[in-house]
Amino acid sequence: MAAPMWMSRSLRVLSKTIQDTSLKLCVQRRIYTCHGQPTLLRGCSSVHPVYLHTGTVSDSHFPSITVTDEPDTLFQKLTVLVKGHDRAVLDSYEFFATLAAKELGLTLAKVFEPRKKIERLTLLKSMHIFKKHRVQYEMRTHYRCIEIQRITGSTARVFLEYIQRNLPEGVAMEVTKTAIETVPEHIQNPMWNQQKLEEQDSQ
Amino acid sequence: MAASTFCFALSPLSKIKCNVNIIYTLNKRTAFSGGLSKIKGVEKQVAALPERSSQGPRRPRREAGEPRTERMSVDQDWTAVYPTAKSFKQNAVPLPVRMGYPVKRGVPPEKKGNLELIKIPNFLHLTPVSIKKHCEALKPFCTEWPNALDSDAKCEEHFPIQVQSKDFVSAGPSLRNPKARIITLTVKLSSLNLDDHARKKMIKLSGERYNKESDTLTITTESCPLRQQNYDYALYLLTVLYHESWKMEEWEKEKTRADMEEYVWEDSPSQKNILETLLRMHAVEKCEEDGGVQKELLGRPEVEEYKDSVTKLKNEGENECNIQQYKDAVKKLLNI
Repeated sequence: MAAPMWMSRSLRVLSKTIQDTSLKLCVQRRIYTCHGQPTLLRGCSSVHPVYLHTGTVSDSHFPSITVTDEPDTLFQKLTVLVKGHDRAVLDSYEFFATLAAKELGLTLAKVFEPRKKIERLTLLKSMHIFKKHRVQYEMRTHYRCIEIQRITGSTARVFLEYIQRNLPEGVAMEVTKTAIETVPEHIQNPMWNQQKLEEQDSQ
Repeated sequence: MAASTFCFALSPLSKIKCNVNIIYTLNKRTAFSGGLSKIKGVEKQVAALPERSSQGPRRPRREAGEPRTERMSVDQDWTAVYPTAKSFKQNAVPLPVRMGYPVKRGVPPEKKGNLELIKIPNFLHLTPVSIKKHCEALKPFCTEWPNALDSDAKCEEHFPIQVQSKDFVSAGPSLRNPKARIITLTVKLSSLNLDDHARKKMIKLSGERYNKESDTLTITTESCPLRQQNYDYALYLLTVLYHESWKMEEWEKEKTRADMEEYVWEDSPSQKNILETLLRMHAVEKCEEDGGVQKELLGRPEVEEYKDSVTKLKNEGENECNIQQYKDAVKKLLNI
C-alpha cells in the first residue's frame, strides 16, 4: 500500500531524522516488515507491479494496530515553521501540508508567511590586497507557518512524521508543541495538612 | 609509453582507418587523435585497444527506446510512476515543460537533457490523489480529539498546566539541536489550590517569572541535557514552590506595612485620621468607652464607602472614576 514507498524513502534519507518521536506505534513495524522491491519502482514496461501501488494489499500481511492504556497527550497548539531559500518550494510544501491536515481532519488555525530575512555580507573580491574592491553576497531565508489547534498526541506524531519524511531538500523545519496537562496529584493539596493528620493519627 | 609506440606506428602516413573515440581517458591519446584527424582531413577510425579502456571491453552503445510517456493513458495511476521522491525524469513526465534562460529570440530550452529541471526539488510524488491515498492509510493510527474540549477556555479549566517544547528538523553535520531540550511550563495561579497567604508568598518566591496581568507563572528550564529531565525539573520546581508557599515561617509574622503587596485600610493612618475627625465632629468625650464608640463609628455605611474608595485609589491608581467615588464619599462623611 502506501507503506513500501515509505520504506525506500527511509532507507535513502540519512541526513534527516525526527528528534522527538520514539515511534512506539506500529508505523515503524509497518514500514520495515514490508519486503523491499526498489528495482520494480523504476517502471519496467513488461511487469506491472499492481499490488505495490494501487492499494489492494490485504491486511493480513501487516501486524495489527496496538492500542495502549496510557492516556494520549493533548496538544492545544502545534506550530510548524518551515524555512527555505526558495519561495516556490515552500508554496508547494504548504499546499501539501494543508491538504494532508485537512484529509486527516485537523483544524488549521492559521497559515501565513512571516517576513523573509536577508543576511548580507561584504567580502574582499581579491585574494590579496585591493581593499577598495569588494563583493557582496546575500542569503535569503523564506518562512511559512502552519498552526494547528487541538490535536492529540498520536495524531500529531503521525502527521509530523508524514510531513517530515516528505520535507524537500534544502528546507528546514521547527515544530513548537504546547501540551496541556492536569494539575498533578502532589500539587493539589499542601502536604503540611497531611503531615499534621499523620502526626495526630500516630498520637 | 603505448601512446608513443602508437604514434610511431602511424607516423608513415598509412591509410589505416581509425575510430576516434572521444571518451578515452588518456590525455595524450586524445590530443594525438584530434591532431591526426585535422591533418588528414579524412575520418580516421582507430581500432579500440580493449586493455586500455577503464570499463573493460566496450559495450556497444544502446539506442534509447520509446519514452514511457508514449504509452501513458490519460486515466493512468500516477502514483505508479512517481511513488516516492525522485528526480525529474523527462521520459516519464508527460508534460511539455520548459525551463531555463531563453535562447536569443527564442524560448526556454525543452525538458530533454535539461539539467535545471533535474536540479530543483519536485513534488511529483505528492499529487492531491497520492496525498489522499497516504492519509487514508494513516487514518487508523490517528486518535480523535475529545469533543468536550471545544474551546480554549474549557481546555484551560480542565487542563491548567501548559508545557511548551520545540523540535527541529534540518540537514547538516549534526542532527541534534541544543534548543530542543528547553521546556517552558505555564500555569495560572487561579487554578491552583492556594489561599491568600500562600498566593502572596508564591508570587514573592517566583519573582520575575510571574506575570501580574495574565496571572501566569512561567517556568523555563534548560539546565539539564535531556528534555525529559528538564520537564521533571520544571514539575519539581512547581511542586516545591507550591508546598513552600503554604508553609508559615516564624519570621513571616514580622511582616511590616512596607512588605504588603496591596493597601489594607485597617490600622492605617487614613483610618486613624477619619476616627479623629468623626470624634471631633460629634464632640464625644474621648475617655469613655473608646472601643465601643470607635466600632460604632466605623460601622457606618459612609465610613465603609470611604474605606472602599481609599482602597481602590491606593491599589488601582488614580482614575477619574476612583477620584469621583472618593469625592462623593468624603462629601457624605462630612455632610457637605
